[in-house]
Amino acid sequence: MSTKKENIRNFCIVAHIDHGKSTLADRLMEKTGQVSERDMEEQLLDSMDLERERGITIKLTPVRMFYKAKDGKEYTFNLIDTPGHVDFTYEVSRSLKACEGAILIVDATQGVQAQTLANAYLAIDNDLEIMPVINKMDLASARPDEAAAEIENILGVDASDAPRISAKNGLNIEDVLEQVIQKIPAPNGNDDAPLKALIFDSFYDNFKGVICFVRIVDGVVKVGTKIKTFMSDKEFVVTEVGVFSPKMTVKESLASGEVGYIAASIKSIEDTAVGDTITEVNNPAPEPLPGYKKALPMVFSGVFPLDGSKFGDLKDALLKLKLNDAALSIEPDNSAALGFGFRCGFLGLLHMDVIQERIEREFDLQIITTAPSVSYKVYKTDGTQMVVENPTHLPPTTEIDYMEEPIIKASIFTPPDYVGPIMELCQFKRGVYKDMVYLDKTRVEMKYELPLNEIIYDFFDSLKSRTKGYASFDYELAGYQKSDLVKLDMLLNGDICDALSIIVHKDKAYERGRQIAEKLKDVIPRQMFEIPIQAAVGGKIIARETVKAFRKDVLAKCYGGDVTRKKKLLEKQKEGKKKMRSIGSVEIPSEAFIEILKTDNDK
Amino acid sequence: MAGIYIHVPFCKSKCSYCDFASYPKEIGKTESYFACLYREIEGRGRQLNGRVFDTVYIGGGTPSVVDSKFIVGAIRQVKKFFTLSQNPEITIELNPGTVTPEKIKEYKSVGINRFSVGLQTGYDDQLKRLNRIHTAKDFLLCANMLKGENFSADILIGLANQTVEQVKKSIDLAIAGGASHISTYALTPEVGTPIYTDYLNGELLSDDEVADIYHEIVDYLKEKGFDRYEVSNFAKQGFESKHNQNYWKRGEYIGLGVSASSFIDDRRFTNTFKIDEYMNAIIFNKSPEISSEIIEKEDAKFEFVMLGLRTAKGIDKKEFNKLFDCDFDKEYSNALLEKAQYINSTKNSLSIKPEYLFVQNDIILAFMK
Repeated sequence: MSTKKENIRNFCIVAHIDHGKSTLADRLMEKTGQVSERDMEEQLLDSMDLERERGITIKLTPVRMFYKAKDGKEYTFNLIDTPGHVDFTYEVSRSLKACEGAILIVDATQGVQAQTLANAYLAIDNDLEIMPVINKMDLASARPDEAAAEIENILGVDASDAPRISAKNGLNIEDVLEQVIQKIPAPNGNDDAPLKALIFDSFYDNFKGVICFVRIVDGVVKVGTKIKTFMSDKEFVVTEVGVFSPKMTVKESLASGEVGYIAASIKSIEDTAVGDTITEVNNPAPEPLPGYKKALPMVFSGVFPLDGSKFGDLKDALLKLKLNDAALSIEPDNSAALGFGFRCGFLGLLHMDVIQERIEREFDLQIITTAPSVSYKVYKTDGTQMVVENPTHLPPTTEIDYMEEPIIKASIFTPPDYVGPIMELCQFKRGVYKDMVYLDKTRVEMKYELPLNEIIYDFFDSLKSRTKGYASFDYELAGYQKSDLVKLDMLLNGDICDALSIIVHKDKAYERGRQIAEKLKDVIPRQMFEIPIQAAVGGKIIARETVKAFRKDVLAKCYGGDVTRKKKLLEKQKEGKKKMRSIGSVEIPSEAFIEILKTDNDK
Repeated sequence: MAGIYIHVPFCKSKCSYCDFASYPKEIGKTESYFACLYREIEGRGRQLNGRVFDTVYIGGGTPSVVDSKFIVGAIRQVKKFFTLSQNPEITIELNPGTVTPEKIKEYKSVGINRFSVGLQTGYDDQLKRLNRIHTAKDFLLCANMLKGENFSADILIGLANQTVEQVKKSIDLAIAGGASHISTYALTPEVGTPIYTDYLNGELLSDDEVADIYHEIVDYLKEKGFDRYEVSNFAKQGFESKHNQNYWKRGEYIGLGVSASSFIDDRRFTNTFKIDEYMNAIIFNKSPEISSEIIEKEDAKFEFVMLGLRTAKGIDKKEFNKLFDCDFDKEYSNALLEKAQYINSTKNSLSIKPEYLFVQNDIILAFMK
């Protein structure tokens, strides 16, 4: 049975992290009978373990619900969940394109936060109808009037009749459902026009190939339809269409206004880029839907197996992850220190973290990652230009005319008490002050331009520790800027350790060099000879530490009864050595590379 | 070469660093323990009939704490059921606080010709902290009883607040007493011993400090005519311990008594550490062994290197080649190259350079496959 277009509502929920997006989604599904309370697993939409643990959504999940409204009519709701983190802004923006409206959740105790704003603006930019909801009314500290005032003042959205709910306790959920019908427009679109389907997500299924999550804008698609996308010339025949309820349920066809999935034995996720438009081969639409943009990795890091012999396993793991994550970029990398591995590109630090954790958990692989880097534009003296994501690929200084680094626009929300420490931090991180707005008595929005390369180092941790966790932070890429950058190398016993090289601002080189040298001194075990640790820029040594040679490495005695025990001790020592990486003649435990990257907030 | 080791698991009290099989509270079982030990000696002796043993070593525990008749009986039993070579080296460990001239006389009467005295340090406050029952004066009395005998003194390095001067003074005391052999052991804080707490609290000397003292006393002992022939062992020429050298040559030995280890016919085995379990096994004609393993060729090769490199002379490559039917230099070409700067490798021998003997583990590891 196909619902009439006027009875369809396609919407998403946007919110700051932890403001209750997934909980509200769960309640909506429960209220519409999509899932019974008994079967309800907490936060159904966040299906990955990792997502549930971190309380964030990484992959999108659309859900179809039926709701019998007070006007007596039956409505079909398509809820498209959106990731809640700044790294996934692009995923948010394309899922918004599949909707006509957005429920904006604001926490009644916290009010508007950085990502509330960022996501609400994204929704407004996409011409979505914004429907505010004030959540967490069950908490004693709830101050809904202030939250409503903030929504109106900061976002300019009328919040006078915003449902005041408790997603946790199920309070006033019906009001939300009713308002969805009243406030969010029904889709328009033409079933008879040539097919236009927006791919807003996809994943790889071992049996069916790539499954595309689509919003049908115009036309109809069914099994047997010959399709192609605008970005790729390949043609496919549709093998299955269906909807999410919330599990995948097969349907005969999908018509304009509907949200569902298409399978067409597509082998590679690259062939159906998210944001691309699907059309019919025999009756193609003249132009694609607007707004396609490739997700560009912003943060890069070397990923190596802790145990060098597990390179093949790491490769398999990354390829499998990539099947479901088009934003992850992979290319082979080779380090003198760490052996064979990969240079991976991520959307941001959280994305990097998530991928690392998934490799370790889902594939049971221990990995070493090198210091995260960003992509620099290098203008060479011969007039050519190159992009450098890996510090070891930086050409010699003599060949570099100048370099540019990526800059971000940052919005920091904080209680006024912390304005001083944050300014200090931003200044220290080479930030340029742009603006500061007092949103109300309790909160300030500060705007800065900051080099991304400073953010990926320890900005989040420093911000949190300086504001006792109260500040929230959001950013977007704002282009490239000329900058005085240098490559900082670490030398062990005179040999450069490529895995430790980083690109830093000239003024930061000394401090970073000293920090890394000190850490290395702590993590490199003493060996047969003295090991000088040096930090160098160009050919110039800017910091030095020394690991002294060990003086005693012998068992006190070894008589008849000691042989077996002594042998076992040595075998253990040998096992430890096998896990070491050699830089020239110096042996470093693999764990040391991980230790070096840890940032110390106490220092 | 082959040796016999006999373990006496009794002490007056337990030293604070000791993790050996010694049971002060069980001293009441002395009589029955030795009865069992004699039986084990008889049984093993019959088993190993035809082999010639060159050394006997009575260790503990404190062998000198028990009535000398038990020691005399044990040696007689060994001589009855084992074949000893001519002029075997027979050593007994002594605690200075437990010997009498009569005991020494008895020991000598059955052929004991070498004595190992646990001096540890010449400072009474340090001895007390180690829970030793003797004083420096006891040592001198003991040394006096051993006048003209071949005796060795044990000295510990690494005690809380110990200075190199104190170690030298302790060595002076041992030499003044007439010792012809000195063993210097770095105090090893084993888990479960009282001294481990001192170690955790950082009261013992650091490895670097121990190394400093060690290197100084190597020179000091050399001046006094004691050559280092193994990491921890120094002797006047001709007074090296034959029994211990057999261990480092990977020679065979049979261990008798509680906790004693043996290495016979490529098999390493160890008796139980519990006195009652040991006695029960012997009484009911069962094996007192709790562990046993056959050493395969590759392991054997490594053991040969690991043990041999503890000695100043090092390894006899020809012997290695003969024993394992291969070529040492070919077998270990990588290790020899990698560690070239730390070793002396000649046509017939391989040894660690004297200055690296105290950091030898890393060198030995290169020979492990």
